[in-house]
This record gives sequence, structure tokens and C-alpha cells, in this order.
Amino acid sequence: MKPAAMNKQRLLIGLLSLLVVCLFVTSLFIGSNPLPIFQAARESLLDTPTVIGLIFGEIRLPRALIALFTGATLGLAGAAMQGLLRNPLASPGLIGSSSGAALGAVAMLYFGLGVLIPLAVPLGGVAGALLATFMVYLMAGREAGTLTLILAGVAINALALALISLLLNLAPSPYAVREIVLWMMGSIANHSMMDLWTLLPGVLLGWLMLFGTGRSLDALTLGEETASTMGISLPRLRWRIFLAVALSVGSVVSITGSIGFIGLVVPHLLRPLVGYQPSRLLLTSALGGAGLLLAADIATRLFPAGTDIKVGVLTSLVGAPFFLYLIIKSRRYQL
Amino acid sequence: MKNVLLTLLLILLGCQIATASERPSRVVSINLCTDQLLLMLAEPEQIASVSHLALEPNSSYMADKAAKFRINYAKAEELIELKPDLILAGLYNDRSLVLLLKKLGYRVEVFPLSSNLEDIRNNIRVMAELIGRETEGQRLISEMDKRLEQISRSNPTHKPRGAFYQPNGYTSGRNTLQHSALELAGWLNIADEEGVVGYGSLDLERLILAKPEQLFTSSYAPGTQSRGQLILKHPVLKQLTHGREMIEVAYKYWICGGPMITDAVEILHKSLPR
Repeated sequence: MKPAAMNKQRLLIGLLSLLVVCLFVTSLFIGSNPLPIFQAARESLLDTPTVIGLIFGEIRLPRALIALFTGATLGLAGAAMQGLLRNPLASPGLIGSSSGAALGAVAMLYFGLGVLIPLAVPLGGVAGALLATFMVYLMAGREAGTLTLILAGVAINALALALISLLLNLAPSPYAVREIVLWMMGSIANHSMMDLWTLLPGVLLGWLMLFGTGRSLDALTLGEETASTMGISLPRLRWRIFLAVALSVGSVVSITGSIGFIGLVVPHLLRPLVGYQPSRLLLTSALGGAGLLLAADIATRLFPAGTDIKVGVLTSLVGAPFFLYLIIKSRRYQL
Repeated sequence: MKNVLLTLLLILLGCQIATASERPSRVVSINLCTDQLLLMLAEPEQIASVSHLALEPNSSYMADKAAKFRINYAKAEELIELKPDLILAGLYNDRSLVLLLKKLGYRVEVFPLSSNLEDIRNNIRVMAELIGRETEGQRLISEMDKRLEQISRSNPTHKPRGAFYQPNGYTSGRNTLQHSALELAGWLNIADEEGVVGYGSLDLERLILAKPEQLFTSSYAPGTQSRGQLILKHPVLKQLTHGREMIEVAYKYWICGGPMITDAVEILHKSLPR
């Protein structure tokens, strides 16, 4: 990498990190009641925390952290998939990973397995994400054009959604049916530190596997044949990314539900800024995703108290027009 | 001669109708709450059928006794087959069904919901009158009042603060049986302080800031899982009440207004901090 490009990349990462830190702190400040936040932070560390300490440590901190990890995971997964499939519309939401994960988590949670077996819910999410991603890949084929991939994704998403509705209708809990929206749209309200610990192992493992794929993804931009002459085993890379996306996206979706469009929008916005190089898009997309989800979650809390707006509603409101714009743009070149 | 026979027949029929209106002998209840009061007050011979909900032990206090009777699913055809002389319904029964039955000439009585003790006493009185068991009704009311008075005699002067917390963050404020029971048992209801009327949601942060000493819940479907129910397992709730577990009070005591509320008041009273 040229020194100038290197500096530009460092500057971008620095700015994005700063943005994420600012949004993270802002997120801690916002709740249904104004709190003296620094005093609350200090008091949350006491052996027997005060009331405001409890609100800080058990409600606002886990919420901000879950938004951070979820947003980063979705952004990173989107960047890796777009790199692997060399397709600007590949993302966890569009090619079925998220809805598959939601289906897996629903199957575990509502039928009591989540109580019997620890980590059954996130494992269900991981399995569902892997299965859905792989099915879309099989349906679309290796050299899938944008349209084929999207169609396969639409089919798998529709199937997963139908199965989620079916399972929630069959679930013994009287509250289940009303939670369809939660799984479709995603929400990070009212989670605890326990939920964070539940999603963290899969997320960190997935990140670790994804961050190592940068060089291979760069080589892949030159075409599959060139990449394999450079010593990159494409089947291994493919499995590694599918598995890593399933691990990380499956874990977050099993806690938050599927939050749409972050994995699609963020890599797109950042791609021109990193010189269209997939390896440099990974970390920046993770930071961008975290920032976008934190911002969206802050926005949901600015609505008057009692209006329970799901965070996915806002990300979709931003993301769907963007998706349309991408389709119109790609028509000029391909269709 | 023909006329005489006809008159006789009419008189006979009239007599039958007259006795029926004094004390109905084929009472059919199509609502869980009228089931409860009917099973408590009526003579077994009077009950022709109770609703299928009466058999469900989580919501029906009288489930054991209900098992002895024929059940119905509140469908017009099966009700007519039962030849009822009095049909008891609740406010939430299908309105078109009630209208149809009335149009067909059946006597249908619709009971209101109860949200406090006075409503309960009223419903008991009305039920007792309808089925000609006034003394039993009076006895039921005075037994309930006596037990409640006994409990409240040992209530503390300084009332501790508690609240009901339900799946999806719902709570019971003023004008609910849970609120009445909390007050009778010697608790201050936090939801009432926060201005909740009826059943409403209480934000988790607001609940924490209100510092309840004890939380109660009354689950509608124990043993089932959903995201809405998971909120009750949020670790902050246990820390908030200094490690005291949420106390579960069965739903059957107040899904319907009835003297069984005394059982719930007793449970709440026993949970007062000593």
C-alpha cells in the first residue's frame, strides 16, 4: 500500500472510531429518565450498586454494547460477503443469513430447548444462518449474477419468514405470535449483560475468522483463476467466510432479531473511501456498522416514551431506498 | 272440550314456566367467570353445563368441581341441545351469539367484569339471585369479608412498596383486582404511584427508579417461553429487590372476580417483609 493511501486509511479508521465512541457515550445518556450518567457509572461499580448504578450497568451499558457488537458484525459480514461473491448486493439480510438465524433461534427459544440446554438459542441461530446461506449459494450457483443471487435470497427469506410465522403460531406461549415483528425487524431494547455474554463467543470467533480473509479477498478481485494461481484455495475461503458469517450473524440475530440493511448499506458507503479494496473495507465496515446501529438505536429512543419503535424499522427506512438506488444503478451496467 | 284441554295444557305450561323463573334448573354457563360463581353457588342439579375453560386448572379456580359437569364450547347448536332455562355469559363472550340466543327466546344474563371488591360482591349477589340461592350468596360474601378483615388486622402501619411485573413489562395499576389485593394485603402498589390505571406498561427504568421492595408476577401460561416472558428473568430485577425472588401468584385467583381473591391476598400478606 502506498504511504498516502495508508495515511488516508488510518485517518478514516480514526474518524470512524471517534464517531463510534461518541455515539456509544451518547447512547448511555439516553433513556426514559435523565440520569447523572457519570455518577451512575461510578455507582454501578459499587458492591451493592445504587438504583441509578443499576440502570447504568444493567440496562444502558448492555444495550449500547449489544448495539455496538451487532452493528459491527452486520457491517463486517456484509463487507466479507460482497468481497467473496464479488456482488454488491450480497449481505446477511438479502441472502438469507439473518432470516435463517432468526428461524433457528425461534425454533430453540419458544419450544423450551433454550431452558434445557445452555446456548441452544445462539447455536440454533448459527445453524439456521449457515443452512440458509448455503442454500442460497447452492440455488444461485458459483458465478451468480446479481439478479440470480437476489432471487435466491428472496426465496429463502420468504421461506424462513413463513416458517418463523408458523412456529410462532404453534408455540405454546400466548405471547409468541405478537413477537413476529420482533424477529422480522429486530430490537435491542431490554437486554441484559447475560444476553451480551451469550452472543459474544460466536461473534468474536466469527470476527477472528473474517479479519484474516482480507488478503484472499483482495486477490479474488482479480478473478477466481488468478486468485488460485496466487495460492488461494477458493473452496476453503468460501467455507471459512460462510462459517464465520453464520457464527457471528447467527449469534447476534438470536438475541436481537434480524436487523436489516446495515450489512448492505455500510460497505457501499465506505467502499469508495477505501479505494475499492476489500481487505481495507473489513475493519472500516465493522466500525461503520456499529456507528449506524448505535445511531439508529438512539433515534428509536427519541420517540415519545411508550412508542415501542423497533430499531430495524429505522435501519430499513434508511436502507430500503438505498437498496432501490443500488438496483437502479446496477441496471445501467448489467441489465 | 277441546278448549278445556288447551287451557289445561296452557296452565300446565304456565306453571312450568313459573317454577322455572323462580329457580332455574338447567343453567348453562358459557364464560369462565360465570362458571366460577355458578360452581360455587348452585346446587349440582341446577347446572346443565359449564364452559370448557372451566376445566383448565391454571385459570379456573373451580377446575376440580367443573370436571363433574358437561362442558360446552359456547356454540349455539350445542347450547340449544342442552335445553337451558338460563344462560350465563360474560362481557367478552361473542356478542352475536348472545343476541342470537336472546332472539330465540332464551334467557341470557351477561355479567360485567370486576375490578374491585365491590364488583365481586355485586356479581355474587346477582348470581345468587338469578339461581335462587340468596342465602348461599350472602354466606359467601360474609365469609370473604371476614377473612379479608382478619388478614388486614395484622397489616403493618408502614406499608412496604411492591408491584406486579408481567411479560412485556406490563403492570397492574388502579382499578385492577391485583391492585385491590396488594392494598388489602398491606402493600403499597408502585404502579398506582406511577399513575398507571388498569393494565399498562411500566418502563424498566421507571420501575427501577421507583425502588420496589418486592416484585410479584402472575403468569398466564407458566412453563412457556417467549421474549416477552424473558424480561421477567432480567438479572437487574433480582438485584433491585436485594436478591429477593419475584413471587408468583397464580392467575386463577383474579382472572375472574370471586371470593378466591382472598387466597391471593393471603399469599401477598405472607410475603410482607418481617
